[in-house]
Amino acid sequence: MDLYTVADAESVVARARSGDEGALEELYRAFEIPVYNLARRICRTTEDAEDVLQETFFEVCRSIGRYREEGSLWGWVRTIAASKALMRLRRNKYRETDELRDEVTGHRREDTALRMDLEAALERLSETSRAVVWLHDVEGYTHEEIAGMMGKTPSFSKSQLARAHHRLRRWLGEEVEI
Amino acid sequence: MTHLSMETLLGLRESGVEPGEAAAREHLECCAGCRAELERLHQRVARLKALPALRPARDRWPRVAERVRAERRQRRLRAGGLVGLAAAASIALAVALGGPARPAGAAGEQEIQLQMARSQALESALNQYHPDERVLDGRTAGIAEALEDRIARVDRELEMAELEEQQTRDQQLLKLWRERVGLLDALVDVHVTRASNVGL
Ligand SMILES: [Zn+2]
Repeated sequence: MDLYTVADAESVVARARSGDEGALEELYRAFEIPVYNLARRICRTTEDAEDVLQETFFEVCRSIGRYREEGSLWGWVRTIAASKALMRLRRNKYRETDELRDEVTGHRREDTALRMDLEAALERLSETSRAVVWLHDVEGYTHEEIAGMMGKTPSFSKSQLARAHHRLRRWLGEEVEI
Repeated sequence: MTHLSMETLLGLRESGVEPGEAAAREHLECCAGCRAELERLHQRVARLKALPALRPARDRWPRVAERVRAERRQRRLRAGGLVGLAAAASIALAVALGGPARPAGAAGEQEIQLQMARSQALESALNQYHPDERVLDGRTAGIAEALEDRIARVDRELEMAELEEQQTRDQQLLKLWRERVGLLDALVDVHVTRASNVGL
C-alpha cells in the first residue's frame, strides 16, 4: 500500500541526486505531511515532531544518492523518519516516567469511568507503547522490523502492542462483560 | 472457559502462523465473547488508521535547504583546498623543471589559485560568523538566499568545468572562481552590514 507518491519519481530522484535543490524541495513537499504525522504520533511535542521532520529531510537530501529503487520511495523516506523519531524518544527517555504516574492514578481514573476519545487515549499511552502501536497498526511494520529499529526483541514489540491495546480498550470505554 | 488473551487475539491478525493458533481459532468458533473482542480490535485499528493526518504548523524546508547549502559550502571549501594544493604542487614542479612549459597556462593557474584562496578566506570568515544561526529580516534573508543559490549554481558549474579539457577548463575555472569570490563577497556584506545595523 503506497498512499504517498511523487509524480515522475524517477526523474525527480535523478535530479535530486545531481544536487538540484528544486527536486529536493519537491521530495520535501510530497512527503512533508506523512513524515510529520508519523513523527507527531510518536513524539510528545509538536517541536520534537518538527525537528524530526527537519532531520529526516536533511538525511534524505544527504543520502538520496544511496537510495536504491528496490522499495518504494515513500517506504525509504518513512523508515528514515521512523528511526529519527525513535532516536528522539531514546534521547528524551526521562519522559517515560509518565506511564508510571499513570499506573498509580489508574484505578481512580477507571472508577470515574472516564471515556476518552481516541486522540486523547493515544496521547496518554507511554511513548514506547504508542510508537509500537503506531508503527505496527497504522504504518504496517512487522514486529521484527520494529524490534530492529528499536534495538529490542520482537517479543518486546508484541507485548508492548498488547499492553497498548489493553489500555486503549479500557480508556475508550470498550470494556464489556464477557 | 479461559478466554483468549489480547496477545493471542493480536497474533491472529499476523500473517505467519503463531504457536497455539489452531487452538485459538477453535476457541473463537465457539465463543461469542472472544469473537466480539476480536471485532473490537479490528475496529480500533481501523479507527487508528482513519485518524486525520496532523500537519506541521511551520514550514521547515527553508531550514533543511539552508543546512544542505551550508554542507555544500563546507565540501566546496575542502575540495577547493585540495585543488589549490594540487595547483601549487604543479607550479612548483614546473619551476623545478626549468620554467613553465605553457606560460599563459601557468599564469592562468596561478590566477585560479589566487581566486580559490580568496574564496576560501571569505568562506571561513563567513563560517566563523555562523550565518545559519542568525535570524535575518525577510528582505535580507531573501538577498542572502538569492546569493547562496547563485553560489550553489557556480559550484555545480565548477564541478562540470573540472571535467573539461585542459585549455577550455582553465579559462572556465578562472571565470567561475572569480564569480564565486564576487558572490561570497556580497554575501559577507549582506550578513555583516545587517549585523552592524542592529549592533550585534
Ligand atoms: Zn472466549
